[in-house]
Amino acid sequence: MVLAAIALLSLYYYESQRKLMLSDKRATMAQYAYVQVKRLKVLHYFFPERTTYPRDPSFTSAIYDIEYNKIFSLNKREEHNFDDEISIKDGYIHFVKGLDTYYLGTRYLVIEIPEDKTWMVKTWKQIALYGGVAFVLFMLLGLYLAKLFLRPMRDSIILLDRFIKDTTHELNTPLSAILANIETMDKAVMVEKNRKKLERIDIAARTVSTLYKDLTYLTLEQEKENEDEPIDVGRLISDRVEYFEVLARSKQIVFTLKIDAVTVVMDRRKLTRLIDNLISNAIKYNKRQGSIEIVLNEKKLSVRDTGIGIAEEKIPLMFDRYLRFNSSEGGFGVGLSIVKKIIDEYGLKVNVDSKEGEGTTITIYWKGTE
Amino acid sequence: MKKGLMILWIIVSLAYGETVYERNCVPCHQKLPTSLQQMFKNYLLVYSSERFVKAGIKHYLKHPARSISQMSKLFLDTYGTKAPTTLSDEELDEAIDIYWEKFKVFDKLK
Repeated sequence: MVLAAIALLSLYYYESQRKLMLSDKRATMAQYAYVQVKRLKVLHYFFPERTTYPRDPSFTSAIYDIEYNKIFSLNKREEHNFDDEISIKDGYIHFVKGLDTYYLGTRYLVIEIPEDKTWMVKTWKQIALYGGVAFVLFMLLGLYLAKLFLRPMRDSIILLDRFIKDTTHELNTPLSAILANIETMDKAVMVEKNRKKLERIDIAARTVSTLYKDLTYLTLEQEKENEDEPIDVGRLISDRVEYFEVLARSKQIVFTLKIDAVTVVMDRRKLTRLIDNLISNAIKYNKRQGSIEIVLNEKKLSVRDTGIGIAEEKIPLMFDRYLRFNSSEGGFGVGLSIVKKIIDEYGLKVNVDSKEGEGTTITIYWKGTE
Repeated sequence: MKKGLMILWIIVSLAYGETVYERNCVPCHQKLPTSLQQMFKNYLLVYSSERFVKAGIKHYLKHPARSISQMSKLFLDTYGTKAPTTLSDEELDEAIDIYWEKFKVFDKLK
């Protein structure tokens, strides 16, 4: 918008400078024409004793009869537009003078001079200078106005962000207390009815805990410096599977693990978030009595579920933040966006293979093995 | 093509014998103080192009009048206007073509 406005103004300025230059040249060339007409008059009266066409070091000229037939020409460019008094083409300026008395039959005298391009260079320099200054001023003004108008919105975002951070922090203490107390309770002495109730509480608490960890990661932890260390991925996966076991059991989902000993150097918090989200999604979108197969080897980590799957055209969008394809399941739709952020940060590759109604396989390729 | 043949014929006529121009124009004009060359330039001053000059001459030769003459008042007062031509249109055109070729400016400037 700013560039278009500057371009338009530049064009207008260029045209006005061109007209100014032509107006200046018109005055000079009119004088040349006046002199040349007088010379033609003399030649007319002495013709045919004198046949040398009058020449001038300042310009060249050509004469044409009333039907535009060339009588004689010294001009470099023969093509003229007799309708325009002054015109520029191919590096020459032409001035057409109409004669009232046709000396030697001359109705039109065309004066030609080479186009002096210094005005053009000067104009372009001015356009570049003033255009640049105007552009910077416009940008600064735009920035100032944008800040002015966006301030209320930015304040709201900051307020919301602070609220989420505070709330997230406040969630941690009660959630930890719930999970810790569930762990310590002796389920063996409980009656079946109470044991099932406790298990439901445990599932709900773990679901909230996963969500809490995702939100904490997004709002607080992702900006932290990475603390990369060698991690035994197989062991981490086993721990996380064990953690999600209660959730999986509630949907009668069975885990199949094909795990080789693999060590990668990554930030533990990030790798945990990556694995948690892959497993959590595989449980969330799986069907009852389904299965989850986790394969880990030197090349890749893949998590395959037997869930609802995802349409092929939606696969490129599944890593977008806040995008959820199935609203029947809970969550904010941030899980896979976290996965994408982490794999992008570590330069890993991801592949999604999915078929609607059959399931989804998400494969992460370790660096240099894809 | 037609014009080219006409010019060729004029050139041949000029080379090998008297033309309609020499027979009908030159004898009378030789007696006048103003040359045919000067008269031609007077026509050029007013009519400019070949077509218009020829048309102007032809019209004057057929319908001579002081009001359309290119000559000065002094000349007209002294010699008057000529009598209307008795030549046919073809002869007239031929004579004017020769006249044009003889005194035209085209190709003579350098």
